[in-house]
Amino acid sequence: MKSPRFELKMGDAEYPACLLDLPRPPKILYGIGDVSLLNPGLGIIGSRKATPYGLSCARRFAGWAATRSVTVVSGAAIGCDQAAQRAAIGGGGRSLAVMGCGADVDYPRGAATLLEQLRTEHAVVSGFPWGTPPKRGHFPQRNHLIAAFSRALLVVEAALPSGTFITAEAAGSIGRDVFAVPGSIFAPECRGTNRLISQGVQPITDVSDLSIALGLLHMTVPDDDGEGREDPLGRALIANPMRPDDAARELDLDIVTVMRALGRLEKAGIVGRYPDGRYGPC
Amino acid sequence: MTRYGRASADTATLVGIEAVPVEVEVDVGPGLPTFQVVGLADTAVLEARERVRSAVRSAGYEFPNARVVVNLAPGRLRKHGTGFDLPIASALLASTGQIDPGLLRETLFVGELSLDGQVRPVAGLLAHARGARDRRLTLVGPPGVDAIAAALPGLRVRPLDRLSGIGRQESGCHRVQAAWSPRAAHPDLGEVVGQHLAKRALEIAAAGAHNLLLLGPPGSGKSMLARRFCGILPPLTAEESLTVAMLHSVAGFDERPALAGVRPFRDPHHTCSIAGLVGGGAPPRPGEVSLAHQGLLFLDELPEFGPSALQALRQPMEDGFVTLVRADGRVRFPSRFALIAAANPCPCGFLGDPEKSCACTAAVIARYQGRVGGPLLDRIDMSVWMPRTDPGSLLNCIAEESSASVLERVMEARERAIARDGVPSSALTGRLLRESCAMTAAAVDELTDTARLRAVSGRAVTRVLRVARTIADLTGCDRVDSDHVSEAFGYRKAEGRMT
Repeated sequence: MKSPRFELKMGDAEYPACLLDLPRPPKILYGIGDVSLLNPGLGIIGSRKATPYGLSCARRFAGWAATRSVTVVSGAAIGCDQAAQRAAIGGGGRSLAVMGCGADVDYPRGAATLLEQLRTEHAVVSGFPWGTPPKRGHFPQRNHLIAAFSRALLVVEAALPSGTFITAEAAGSIGRDVFAVPGSIFAPECRGTNRLISQGVQPITDVSDLSIALGLLHMTVPDDDGEGREDPLGRALIANPMRPDDAARELDLDIVTVMRALGRLEKAGIVGRYPDGRYGPC
Repeated sequence: MTRYGRASADTATLVGIEAVPVEVEVDVGPGLPTFQVVGLADTAVLEARERVRSAVRSAGYEFPNARVVVNLAPGRLRKHGTGFDLPIASALLASTGQIDPGLLRETLFVGELSLDGQVRPVAGLLAHARGARDRRLTLVGPPGVDAIAAALPGLRVRPLDRLSGIGRQESGCHRVQAAWSPRAAHPDLGEVVGQHLAKRALEIAAAGAHNLLLLGPPGSGKSMLARRFCGILPPLTAEESLTVAMLHSVAGFDERPALAGVRPFRDPHHTCSIAGLVGGGAPPRPGEVSLAHQGLLFLDELPEFGPSALQALRQPMEDGFVTLVRADGRVRFPSRFALIAAANPCPCGFLGDPEKSCACTAAVIARYQGRVGGPLLDRIDMSVWMPRTDPGSLLNCIAEESSASVLERVMEARERAIARDGVPSSALTGRLLRESCAMTAAAVDELTDTARLRAVSGRAVTRVLRVARTIADLTGCDRVDSDHVSEAFGYRKAEGRMT
């Protein structure tokens, strides 16, 4: 099935009004898919090289948005963006991808199937003409569009430096609510989000915070089940992801005991193994 | 005045690790003074003419001013190497009556000659020695054959350090080769500070013959640990050590450590060619996989190896031998080795480092990790991360367990596994593996729940189970319990990629 392409010129009745909040809105918005999705939704963004924690936040919040029929807006980038959009689609929700290249260009390459699905059943838009290749200089503009298409913007994880800062600043300057998920102060992957919070972005300190924040979008958030986290090793790892060696040293346990306990905690779903060998919340 | 005559001496040429009999016939007759060698000789053998000519003169004998023809029989067999110098010279001296032809009877000659008449060692001396013993011949060769005689009961030898001594019946060897001492054959595990997870994995790998992948930034001690692996394995048995020594001897390496029971440690550089890795060349020489037979093959910087070289590792790992087929025949070298591979998690090495952030993009990391083919990774049962060691703990000298005490546990576990299954747990599959594990109900629950929750593939479950079997053996348990499964899950490797 060939999905319909559209070109909306500034001044057209169908040109999304939210884009006019931007100081320099695109003259033409190119897109493929469902035009009815071009209204502010929940923007979920984060770094490409995300930790399982970041990915899990992206998935969880996008999943909730899906159940409340709120459109998840993101950039289809590797990592948090794709995790959020996949979760939104998987949860039966809607999703809008804003590209830093032509809306018909498959970038990143690994996202070709996701983009195809977005184009046929959801929407993919861009401020760049058809066939424009991805260029470094295009992404700030893409980030401005994401900000404009967000009623509220959630930064799930960002390192330093990060392109998410552009999106967050743009969203703040045009009066969107910006939230950030705080991370461990030891984790380089979370320095960006923690910095945003120190600069005044509202932190999500508790899952219920999010439900208050998202009340703006008439969304409610299910309660956390708070399953058994009384194990000292589990508690230590949730506070600060560690490799088994470090955990053994911190808790003064031998490595065999730690490995066996980790196996049990993993089975219970309390901690997970990160791709870098550390164990932490999942 | 030159005497004409004819004589022959016995020698051998190497085909793989076998010494195939070759007869050297020398005919000295009238005609223009020439020196010819016939009988499918390679360049090194043809060059023997110049060495023999000079060595004979240096040894105080006369080189016949006549037509000299050397025939190497059987004619269809290709001969190579420098070991023909001594048999050619001996037969030449006997044919001209300069030494007693009786000296050539029931004797096998092997050795290279120097221009001043010294007898030099050749590659594969051990294989020649075994050939001599099997043919009930006395081996006359370079100093060093006497050391080999100690390893091959029933072998008679006559070491010779100079060609001038060949006319004497007695040994006539003045140079004595320094004895090889097995002192500190492998460095001790106790010298490695921290890294308890990796050490535990090393112990399990040694006990169950599992292949291991070590991941970590540069300088975290991956090679240091691998060098200590053979020290926690029992020494080679007499039979194993002879095979290993033979392979090393044929490749021109020192065979004495292997004869002393020391397991080989091979760490080829990542620029190693396919032929270097699995064996090859003409004549075929054993590659690193065969030189690591009954020992450890350590591949540092795994993703830097050529993809085709890694692909070539598959068959030797599976079969335990390499067959090299050449136009003039096929050669088989054994290759039953343990594999430890080490890799940086990403090109810069700092992916997942708690302090230094990684400078690589996601695409670069994926490409780097994708360089190691799935088939090789599939044969690796365990993977562990080795973080950079905290400098403070390096100075904080706490007593670390020595190789000797780890070896005790490893030997016990190996004996249990062999007594029960006849093979190490890494070789178990399917029904045999399940029966051998005899899992408790709790262990079954643990395995199925974790596998379902973590979406672990069937193949990965098999690997976890094998490792759990070994962990149970190390603990001294007949049945695999949930504790063993929990621990084994921690060493599992991600599907199809390194991390």
